[in-house]
Amino acid sequence: MLQCIFLLSDSGEVILEKQLTGHRVDRSICAWYWEHAMAQADTFKIELYQHLPAPVIASPTHYLFQIVRDNITFLACTQVEMPPLMAIEFLCRVADVLSDYLAGLNEDLIKDNFVIVYELLDEMIDNGFPLTTEPNILREMIAPPSIVGKMLSVVTGNSSNMSNTLPGATASCVPWRTTDLKHASNEVYVDLVEEMDAIINREGALVKCEIYGQVEVNSQLSGFPDLTLSFGNPSILNDVQFHPCVRFRPWESNQNLSFVPPDGQFKLMSYRIKKLKNTPIYVKPQLSSDAGTCRINVLVGIRNDPGKTIDSIEVQFQLPPCILSADLTSNHGTVNILANKTCCWSIGKIPKDKAPSLSGSMKLETGLERLHVSPIFQVSFKIMGVALSGLQIDNLDIKNLPARPYKGFRAVTRAGKYEVRS
Amino acid sequence: MFHQFGATADSLSKASTLVFRIGTDAHLYDDPDDVSIAPLLDSKFDSEKCEALKRLLALIAQGFDVSNYFPQVVKNVASQSLEVKKLVYLYLLHYAEKRPNEALLSINYFQKDLGDPNPLVRAWALRTMAGIRLHVVAPIVVVAVAKCARDPSVYVRKCAANALPKLHDLRLEENTGGIEEIVGILLNDNSPSVVGAAAAAFASVCPNNLNLIGRHYKKLCETLPDVEEWGQIVLIEILLRYVIARQGLVRESIMASPYSEYLDSEIDGPDRDFAVKEETNVVSIGAYQSQLLQMASKSYLEGPEKYLSQMNFEDKGAFQSGLPKFTSAKNDDVKILLQCTSPLLWSHNSAVILAAAGLHWIMAPKEDLRRIVKPLLFILRSSSASAYVALCNIQVFAKAMPSLFASYSEDFFICSSDTYQIKALKLEILSNIATESSIPVIFQEFQDYVRDSDRRFAADTVAAIGLCAQRLPNVANTCLEGLLALTIPQSLNNDTESSGGDSIVLIQAIISIRSIIKLDPPRHEKVIVHLVRTLDSIKVPTARAMVIRMMGEYNSSGHILPKMLTSVLTYLACCFTKEALETKLQILYAAVKVVLCARGDDLCASKKLLSYVLELAKCDINYDIRDRARVIRKLLTQYLFSFELVEEARYISESKNMSCLLAERLFLEKPKSMSTEPNNYRFYLPGSLSQIVLHAAPGYNPLPEPCSLTIGDSSFGSNIVKGGTHSDLYGVDDSERASGSSDDDSNSSDGSEISEAGSSGNDVGDESGSASEGDENTGLLINFSDVGNAAYANLNGNSEVNDPQSRPNDFGELMSNRALESWLDESPDSSRNAPESSSFQNSSARISVGSLSERVKPKSYTLLDTVNGNGLRVDYVFSSEMSSKSKFVCLEVSFKNCSNEPKEKILLFDEDIEGGQDNSEQALRTNESSSAPHNNDVKVIVPVEEIPCLEPGQSSKKIMEVHFHHHLLPIKLVLRCSGLKLPVKLWPDIGYFVKPLPMDDEEFFRKESQLRGMFEYNRRCTFIDHVRELKDEKGEISLVKDKFLVVCETLGLKMLSNANLSLISVDMPVTTNHDDVSGLCLRFACEILSNSMPCLITVTLRGNCSEPLNTTVKVNCEETVFGLNLLNKIVSFLAEPPL
Repeated sequence: MLQCIFLLSDSGEVILEKQLTGHRVDRSICAWYWEHAMAQADTFKIELYQHLPAPVIASPTHYLFQIVRDNITFLACTQVEMPPLMAIEFLCRVADVLSDYLAGLNEDLIKDNFVIVYELLDEMIDNGFPLTTEPNILREMIAPPSIVGKMLSVVTGNSSNMSNTLPGATASCVPWRTTDLKHASNEVYVDLVEEMDAIINREGALVKCEIYGQVEVNSQLSGFPDLTLSFGNPSILNDVQFHPCVRFRPWESNQNLSFVPPDGQFKLMSYRIKKLKNTPIYVKPQLSSDAGTCRINVLVGIRNDPGKTIDSIEVQFQLPPCILSADLTSNHGTVNILANKTCCWSIGKIPKDKAPSLSGSMKLETGLERLHVSPIFQVSFKIMGVALSGLQIDNLDIKNLPARPYKGFRAVTRAGKYEVRS
Repeated sequence: MFHQFGATADSLSKASTLVFRIGTDAHLYDDPDDVSIAPLLDSKFDSEKCEALKRLLALIAQGFDVSNYFPQVVKNVASQSLEVKKLVYLYLLHYAEKRPNEALLSINYFQKDLGDPNPLVRAWALRTMAGIRLHVVAPIVVVAVAKCARDPSVYVRKCAANALPKLHDLRLEENTGGIEEIVGILLNDNSPSVVGAAAAAFASVCPNNLNLIGRHYKKLCETLPDVEEWGQIVLIEILLRYVIARQGLVRESIMASPYSEYLDSEIDGPDRDFAVKEETNVVSIGAYQSQLLQMASKSYLEGPEKYLSQMNFEDKGAFQSGLPKFTSAKNDDVKILLQCTSPLLWSHNSAVILAAAGLHWIMAPKEDLRRIVKPLLFILRSSSASAYVALCNIQVFAKAMPSLFASYSEDFFICSSDTYQIKALKLEILSNIATESSIPVIFQEFQDYVRDSDRRFAADTVAAIGLCAQRLPNVANTCLEGLLALTIPQSLNNDTESSGGDSIVLIQAIISIRSIIKLDPPRHEKVIVHLVRTLDSIKVPTARAMVIRMMGEYNSSGHILPKMLTSVLTYLACCFTKEALETKLQILYAAVKVVLCARGDDLCASKKLLSYVLELAKCDINYDIRDRARVIRKLLTQYLFSFELVEEARYISESKNMSCLLAERLFLEKPKSMSTEPNNYRFYLPGSLSQIVLHAAPGYNPLPEPCSLTIGDSSFGSNIVKGGTHSDLYGVDDSERASGSSDDDSNSSDGSEISEAGSSGNDVGDESGSASEGDENTGLLINFSDVGNAAYANLNGNSEVNDPQSRPNDFGELMSNRALESWLDESPDSSRNAPESSSFQNSSARISVGSLSERVKPKSYTLLDTVNGNGLRVDYVFSSEMSSKSKFVCLEVSFKNCSNEPKEKILLFDEDIEGGQDNSEQALRTNESSSAPHNNDVKVIVPVEEIPCLEPGQSSKKIMEVHFHHHLLPIKLVLRCSGLKLPVKLWPDIGYFVKPLPMDDEEFFRKESQLRGMFEYNRRCTFIDHVRELKDEKGEISLVKDKFLVVCETLGLKMLSNANLSLISVDMPVTTNHDDVSGLCLRFACEILSNSMPCLITVTLRGNCSEPLNTTVKVNCEETVFGLNLLNKIVSFLAEPPL
């Protein structure tokens, strides 16, 4: 079981430590970890996000698990056998809960609210074993910092954020929902949020294209409602993951999602739909290099019109290390080259009259005739109102609710890991 | 003093954060000690206390030691404000261990809080109280936990379950029974969330007490989907262990594949169809795969360390231990478990998915395994850390069963945002699962990867291409083409300095090419020729060296290569001086190889070239090159410089020059093909930490032995139920007992245990007392003490020596054995401490080991029987006496003349050291001085003095001292007798590679706790010796004799007769059933002769007296291999029937 959790800043400083068991872990482990990470980065001279050591490593004294969120490193230690994914998944939950509570995650936010962080950690894990990780219950036990609360504390000097009673949910058989909820207006919103992962190889062929989607529900319902969500075409789902509130039986028998929802925003289900045949836009990079310079030309356009506007299109790529300077222009949108040699071309919407293109030349390192590595273009876009996978929500049935609630459906598709190789 | 803001924040963000920071605790973190905290703590306003506590917390967060405020903080535990309470608890838990005395002050408040109507308060109090971790309060906490385990609030019960591991951490040996009891109660709870926490408690408190699971198995399976996600992870593993231990492995699963040939014979009826179907199934398994699967399944069962060490010591005796028991997937227990875990593959917690997938991997029929694939692949889309762990496991699955993932290759295609570790894992998986049909697409991908700007990744891709070619020989040619293409363009436009990244790709490409060529050198001759031709453009020294080496290696294979050798060598000789070190070496070697293989005209030319290169090398700046050149020169002098002669000599193999032969041996030996054997591959249970770090993490347990949980045990399970009700009683009245013990501090720290054990001991004592009718040597209260050491056995906690006040004095008395003996034998009245304790000691039986050691009969081995020895019979016995020289084992050798003629001049000596005493003494001396390290391997005996004459029928005994150097192989000795030399073998006994290590049991436990985890090994066996003992004396004595004693004695005797140990202590079971010896536990200690490391042995018995007993032997020893061997030895002799 976990023995200690450390939160490290992006400079390796320990923001706080939480000892979990009697086997105390000294802070020096963090210094060891940081040196280890730095040494690795030095040896291989690679990008920042890649310099991290493996998520599970054995230090001389402890086994370390770590995740990095928004430049905060969550480091957990143990000395005995335990499922490593349990530790990692737990750290992810901690990061989720903290960023939810603090509305973001950075060094200052954690330091400013360290008492809440301590209280949360204490509630979330006991003796190295996760205790309460359900965000809804945590919210009832420890109130998140709010503007009103801050003002009150300034005025009155009293700043208790601890609840005095145990949330009723802990006793019920649906631990994710408080028992006696009352909302003035009963509403439930279902969002399909899809991310398209695609790989287009050097020859322009679509190697892989799949949708990773989530059904996000925002429920503001009184009492103890029982919801059933059915899809029009559940057979296209390749694989699914459910929130604990989803009952397995109805899904197994007729692929209906039957559940008692938690209150507020939650992720009901995630799914994967594989082997899609089409992408909404095309990105065609062309590179040719010769005599120490490299000419680049990137074309972007709509391939399959999804019927809604494609928004916030952006093409990003990393200039290879052997490039000394680059002169890039575009006929639409803006081009930025960041300090870490990342080139970022934000297009926005595709205009009707012309096809956006980026062109320019780059100077190679002296002694290098031609470019023998090729950059990978990461594309992002957003399409509101469409689920590109074609998954359809058929019906949302609500039982056990006195008033007729308002039901809303939305869909959005974004680019996920959408890559074009050149 | 502290950083006010993050170093990176500029002034603007400073200003903006300042606004947001109003009303937060920011100022407390920034300047925690700008006001004096002490007065605030003493304030009567909660808000001020809060502020002070927050400041302290901030200091803790920043790594300062603020334990000096402890007394003031503890006072505030009485506060009514929950926030203050919580903050105090946070502080308290951080420092309780440091300030145990002050922490005690808070206990009363906790006890008061435990009665609070608010469940949150009760839960917090319990959590904190258990978290304080002080031995002194442990009994109170046990009582509190027992009470909270019946609390109406689910949350409190859950916290009670979480408190159990904390108690277990304290190693309260006396309370284990009680704690396990509570685990049982909580496992049976109605609320799934409590069950989850109870499962976690079970896993850390008593993971091997699977009987406890057996009682609730069905119910646990059914609640599994409703249990909280974290509990699910643990519970899945527990249920898996239970089913394996109860029902055995599943015949249709991959675990059974190594035994398939054995199983096929068993299969009949409907199962046979299955077997046939399996053969035609897509899941076709090659020899390599089945070997891997066998390794995996054996490793899962025994742990890779043990499995690998077994491979070394008893090579192919893999099946010796017998076939594991198998069951069918149609078995109810198996079926329900598989059913209940399959929906968990849809969990949103990746750890649950992996745990469920791991269970299916081990238990599910092969054709159902596919269902784990998609969920596993879905994990790859979550955080990169989870993806990494999932990939590590998928890699193992894919290695053992590539067909499972073969059609999912596109899921392992690499994104630029993947971290390096993930990329490397994906590449390895891709090269493992590639099939004839998917390889074109994969190659297409690889070609893209090779152009990645991370050159380390590109090099890995090149290595993966090589692996693919080795797996699928049909594509080898395509691979070679691609790889060759890689060697060219880079060499054209790069100098070595500018692109360090590209050189690793080039080197890797050459390595891959080499590994492909190795598969079929003659067929790929053109590739070598091509590489040699481009040698001029290959600038990277390592790559160059490798190509030259390849040329040398395959110089005689093919047709084109031999023809161009001379010119290439000339070229190489020309640029020799400009080359890098490694290239120079390879040029040297290649030249020698060519010379050794050359024929006719070539030979002449290449000889000249070689001598030219040697000349150059002689003057090289590097001493290594100079030395090597000199060696080669020396070896080949004749060969090189007497042209005609050697030419002849080559064809007359008899006259072949010794040095030439040596040179050929050195240079022409084909390198051993890189073993594709998975021997060094280590399998740990899927989803475990050990699988990721690839060594057994402390606390790692392989699967239990299949079917080790027998039906007999389940009746034992019902015994536990009985015991449960028994101590339920104790649970009910525990509140008064707790108050009693806390009131009456003079009672001793563990007063409650004493009274408990005392009372139950009395119960049993009465029973057996009535049965034994006043026999002095009966009863439960035994002092088992070892003559060899002054340690005494400390039993149920109620023998007189356990009285804490008397303890120090007793130690003094115990210093000498004689004192102990006399003290034991004399009536209790004579002892100062005895009267008070004897009041609850009805009777006591003592086996002083004096008597036990007299009965120890070490096993005698035959060195020479009368037939082979011409009438002379020589036996030897390992003696427990210690040799005067350290590291030597004493043997008692007895010579007996069974013939009719006298035997003369009998002498036993080491073969290698011919005869004389002086020689061996000398060897001994050199050995001891250890000036010559290789000498260490020579076994040394201190010889027996010669027996001048042995008359017929006469026998003689000699003590011989032998140094086995910890080899388990026999020593070959020679026995000289009447002029005859007879070879004999002396078999070592690992049980005597140790010497007794006396200690008291506290020290034993301390040592044991240091040697946990990977230093701890368990094995089970059955002990039957006592049965005969009990049966023999049936009728008259069995009434009088305590069965426990008999069991104890026989077991102790067996142990001491077979190994040189010292008995440390004996734990007697506390039970109402005097046939049930479960819990009887003997502890032994010894010290390894060679390095004086302690080695602790614990033997625990389970079962019914009159039946064969399930025995668990545990060895704790730092020396892993030795410990395992010793364990095997112990298990084998324990299981041996008595003589």
